[in-house]
Amino acid sequence: MNAEQKVLVRKVCAHAFVIGFLILVLVPFVMVISASLRQGDFAPSRLLPDKVSLDHWKFVLGIPYQEVVNPATGETRMVKAGTPPLLWFWNSIKISLVSSAGIILLSSTAAYAFARLRFKFRTTTLGALLILQMFPMVLSLVAFYVILDFTGQHLRLIGLNTQLGLIMVYLGGISNYIWMIKGYFETIPASMEESARIDGASQFQTFIRILLPMSLPIFAVVFILSFISYMSEYPVASVVLQSSDNWTLAVGANSFLYEQEKLWGRFAALAVLSGVPITVVFLLCQRFVIGGLTSGGVKE
Amino acid sequence: MSEGSVEIKELVKTYTDDRGRPTFTAVKNINLHIEDGEFMVLVGPSGCGKSTTLRMVAGLEKITSGTISIGERVVNELEPKDRGIAMVFQNYALYPHMTIFNNMAFGLQLAKKKKDFISDTVGRTSKALGLDHMLERKPHALSGGQRQRVALGRAIVRSPKVFLFDEPLSNLDAKMRVQMRSEISKLHAQLGNTMIYVTHDQVEAMTMGDRICVMRDGLIMQVADPLTLYRQPENLFVAGFIGSPPMNLLKGKVQKRDGGIFFAENAEKNALNIQLKGKLEPLAGKYVDKDIIFGIRPEHLSDEVKDPAHVPVTSTVEIAEPMGSESLVYLKGGSGNLIARIHGEHLFHLGEQVTVQLNLDKVSLFDAATESVIR
Repeated sequence: MNAEQKVLVRKVCAHAFVIGFLILVLVPFVMVISASLRQGDFAPSRLLPDKVSLDHWKFVLGIPYQEVVNPATGETRMVKAGTPPLLWFWNSIKISLVSSAGIILLSSTAAYAFARLRFKFRTTTLGALLILQMFPMVLSLVAFYVILDFTGQHLRLIGLNTQLGLIMVYLGGISNYIWMIKGYFETIPASMEESARIDGASQFQTFIRILLPMSLPIFAVVFILSFISYMSEYPVASVVLQSSDNWTLAVGANSFLYEQEKLWGRFAALAVLSGVPITVVFLLCQRFVIGGLTSGGVKE
Repeated sequence: MSEGSVEIKELVKTYTDDRGRPTFTAVKNINLHIEDGEFMVLVGPSGCGKSTTLRMVAGLEKITSGTISIGERVVNELEPKDRGIAMVFQNYALYPHMTIFNNMAFGLQLAKKKKDFISDTVGRTSKALGLDHMLERKPHALSGGQRQRVALGRAIVRSPKVFLFDEPLSNLDAKMRVQMRSEISKLHAQLGNTMIYVTHDQVEAMTMGDRICVMRDGLIMQVADPLTLYRQPENLFVAGFIGSPPMNLLKGKVQKRDGGIFFAENAEKNALNIQLKGKLEPLAGKYVDKDIIFGIRPEHLSDEVKDPAHVPVTSTVEIAEPMGSESLVYLKGGSGNLIARIHGEHLFHLGEQVTVQLNLDKVSLFDAATESVIR
């Protein structure tokens, strides 16, 4: 085999590998979409649905439709969701947006303290945060329940079965993001803030007017990551939110999976729906994730 | 009026870890008086404490003990913005998300000055620095030299009493460095403010400073004007630091024999053995049979004989660096090389025998134990 043929073989192999990988990634995605468009909830061996039906989507979007109850008699009835899934959709977006915004606020200020200020037990606290973040939030489920039950008795707004209560719990998962933002702050040379200090900026003004505008890339990343994780979070949400009009998309979707009859069609439609806000957030935040935001400011 | 004078008294800086335990003392009790309008250069090797001292004057580092006064006002507890200082950083420290105009105007905007005043001041300063046609650009669209000028402009706009420079030219290429050096010197001549300039480059120090403060390991080695530092170094460190190529420093003993005082280098081969005449005789006379260090600069080891104060020294060439109008010749010495600066365009070869004339009038003798000059 000469050199040219070798290059060709390599090209073909590389393409085959990438295409194969793509198929591997795309197949579950296509499966979910086709499950949402397939009539009935039975999952056959075919990938694409042979009988396309928009019933699941009508259900999810709150449009009443006719369903055949008895195929023999042709009896139909109107189907409409008890709690509109769109309400769950709206709950999810609300909770994720507010939590992500809160995460950025809390973790950026904490990261600033860890990156720029010197105080007793700074390294100890950082280390503790690092270790704590290794434990998934799920481990503290019982604790969350008990705490929210307690606070709910004194302040109805942040008790069990409240969205605000869930947001409070979510805001506790900031240690990962503190480390990320702290790392980013440390790449910004301190001389810029020192210059601002000489110019007369207070520490807060320096934070708001110098550091924050330069940190947009990392904030975009943190927002995207936290938004995705809260949109798809299930365990904590299912424990905290009990009544169906408080449910998030993840909890609501899971409610269709009854022991005897798993309504995959509706589940799939909700899954696809939950992907929409994530995609929108991604597209919106993308332009902030540009490198070289500090370029020109200092000589590297 | 001594409004811009800076007085540093018994200044100490000790760094501590997070728990408050002392780890490292960067500045070990220094005293320095800088006159109003003076261009004072703090020079020394890395880690000598010059930047730390500058930052304490600026207010960016806490003072462990001692006082700093600007214009006869103790500024220890004052914030940087209240001290009447402006600083130019080594890496420019421009705000990358702001235009050049806003970079220079930031301080004035924070002080809530009127818009007309701001645009007037920034306009004037940028015009003087040749930046007025790029005020709407952002820092990444400028060259290194232009960015440094913006940093200068930002400092000037503050109308400070004292300008502080922290190795501002270290990041520029050689050509730009020479240009900016003269620009800063011109600025000093124009504005007349006190300027404290930190650098590790002794050439910069010698060319720009009214007085130079040589530092080492947190202590001041000598403070004097450039020529005095060159001619009369007070200790071994200053002698070896100032001047490029550095002074030849030979270790040896003082011997009294044959009715005269001789310097005998401590070496087995090629040891220098010279009779110390003239003003050197009484100085060395105090150190008979003791260790001293014999210092002679390369420019005083030449091939021109001017007067009887010259003593011939013959050796072989190990390395020759032709510079065009002169050559730096590394001669075989007792321990290491003897560097001589020989004028002319002669090309020296390895192994060539050369006789240089050592100018005894320019010799400095140092006490080997204390490292201070013998006077």
